[in-house]
Amino acid sequence: MKKKITQLKNELQKAVIGQEAMIEGLLIGLLCNGHILIEGVPGLAKTTTVNALSKALGLDFKRIQFTPDLLPSDIIGAQIYDPQTHSFSIKKGPLFTNLLLADEINRAPSKVQSALLEVMQERQVTIADESFVLERPFLVMATQNPIEQEGVYALPEAQLDRFMMKLIVTHNSEEEELQIMRKGATKSFADVMQVMDKKSLFALQEELEAIHIDPELERYIIQLISATREPARFKLETLQADIMYGVSPRASIDLYKAARAKAYLRGNDFVTPADIGMVVHDVLRHRIVLSYEARAKGIKSDEVITKIVETVQIP
Amino acid sequence: MKNSLGSTLAYIIMLTLSLLHGEDFTFLRQVDTPDPYVKEGVLLFIDLNQTNPDIVLLFDFDLKASSDYVFRRIDSKESDSYHNAKVHYLYLIYPLKAGDIDIDFRLTKRVTNDESVAYSFSGDRDNVKGLVTKDSNITLPPLKLHVKPLPKGTTLVGDFTLTYALQKKEAVAYEPISFRVTLKGRGYPSLLASLFPKKVPFTLFTEKPIVQKSHSKRGTFSTIVYPMALSSDRNFTTLPITIHAFDPKKERAYTLKVPPETIHIKPIDVNALVDKVDTPPPLHTNWQWLGSVLGYLLAFVSGFATAWFLKWHKRAALPSGHPLEVKIDNAQDKKALLQLLLAQQGPRFSTVIEKLERDLYGKERYTLTSLKKEAKEQLQ
Repeated sequence: MKKKITQLKNELQKAVIGQEAMIEGLLIGLLCNGHILIEGVPGLAKTTTVNALSKALGLDFKRIQFTPDLLPSDIIGAQIYDPQTHSFSIKKGPLFTNLLLADEINRAPSKVQSALLEVMQERQVTIADESFVLERPFLVMATQNPIEQEGVYALPEAQLDRFMMKLIVTHNSEEEELQIMRKGATKSFADVMQVMDKKSLFALQEELEAIHIDPELERYIIQLISATREPARFKLETLQADIMYGVSPRASIDLYKAARAKAYLRGNDFVTPADIGMVVHDVLRHRIVLSYEARAKGIKSDEVITKIVETVQIP
Repeated sequence: MKNSLGSTLAYIIMLTLSLLHGEDFTFLRQVDTPDPYVKEGVLLFIDLNQTNPDIVLLFDFDLKASSDYVFRRIDSKESDSYHNAKVHYLYLIYPLKAGDIDIDFRLTKRVTNDESVAYSFSGDRDNVKGLVTKDSNITLPPLKLHVKPLPKGTTLVGDFTLTYALQKKEAVAYEPISFRVTLKGRGYPSLLASLFPKKVPFTLFTEKPIVQKSHSKRGTFSTIVYPMALSSDRNFTTLPITIHAFDPKKERAYTLKVPPETIHIKPIDVNALVDKVDTPPPLHTNWQWLGSVLGYLLAFVSGFATAWFLKWHKRAALPSGHPLEVKIDNAQDKKALLQLLLAQQGPRFSTVIEKLERDLYGKERYTLTSLKKEAKEQLQ
């Protein structure tokens, strides 16, 4: 099965050069059934990567370009009156898919973003008085552009909490950029082929259940989470004024799952502190609500997480 | 002057008589002085007479503008008959440069008929009906003038007189004294830039000259007043004003002069000029301004010093190397080093982390120093 993962990575690298951290994060989301929020400036292959992933997995894929005039019914669907039969029928929206790419999610107002709350948590959609359970797997991969200030809406905290990880995509190295330039100019990016199907994906997810995590590491995860809520208890008094709200229990679950997935992707059948440390920023960064003073001082949630990891003793 | 103009009118010379056959009208032009001096007034008579009574004829005539001359239409007569149009224009032209110059004409012949005229008249204010005409531009030969140059140093052309009025010859210091110079006469109305030289031994206030002029067959009659005021704190003498003029009718150069005038200035006590009623002298010296200046200075210096101190303090507080490098050096054991490296984002330290993992949780062994060194290398 691990061979499948390597094949999948190879296929993705046909369409995307570099960005290993983003690919790794997407695979963790896929293995854990967790939704992923990808943030980065335009042109960093965010959409391309998600597109390539759907092709390589042979999953049903739909993309929604979020715009300021989008309505919840444009995403989830609506009840439509049929004059011939004198009855209402359900017109399902693009949400009914396996991989949903919510492109530039912060361009739509909170009303529309909130339409995703039920489906992201319950994996079911309610249209009028009828609820539909979505087919497995169902993953939302949202992208957002951090540099725009006009015409964008910040994602509500409840919505952010439903994303398992928030990946920050940065620019490629000079060597990678050179390859991108050459391939882009000569249009020599190879087509992505399907290397997995739903069955093998479910099998990978089952294998993940077998990854062992020591009770001491479980406690370490809980301590990291608690440190975001009560920093003073961990001798992090300086962070007390910087954090307005710590992370939710969803964060503990997601960090636990992500650490196991990371260990699996690294070829281990047990979790080490390094696996937790490697995913902790991605899992917690969008969940910590910083105080106004901290934001005014230019403090980022990543800096807060770094201080916590530096302070909380590893087992 | 009058005799001169009368004789000039009698001396009208028919320069050109142009009968434009086949163009339904005759064009006649006459000029009174074919060889004028520069800036001498020349009268130009224009007559346009319709010869074809079958059509309704209208004329659009004028002189073309040029830098060689200036002109003004001073008389115009047009007949009311639509089939027998007669137009008479009188122009006053002033050539501006010596030598042969061409006076160019612009003539548009506009042909229409009675129906079109009647139609145009049937309109009213709210329903304007245009007159439909068939227009054609007629090319007319230019009128050639041989312009004679003026004697050297001439600044005024015509028959002028110069008068002046000095308000008083005795004044107190700094009192403005009105001084008006009036140039009056017939001829080219030149505006002189300045009557006095640039440097004068008194303060000179000037205004824009007041110009009044009227044009007629006898030329341009103008009155130009130069209002000025003179002021000084000591006695002074005005500079003489000399204008070199030339009368082309009499072919005589003459000089117009304003003689120098001496003004006696009585000294005045400057303190007497101070308004002691509305602005009484202060009872004591006010040093408040000094306090304000020192206050501002103190605020500036303290602000500057604070900024400098903060910058210096921040720089002094910073460790010499990279902050993470210091932390790596301070790591007590391998677990502490692993914890420190895990807290950093990105895959920068992945190799060292893996080695630390294998050492702490596996069987491989590395020295803390070598791991620290490798981590510091990754930092660079």
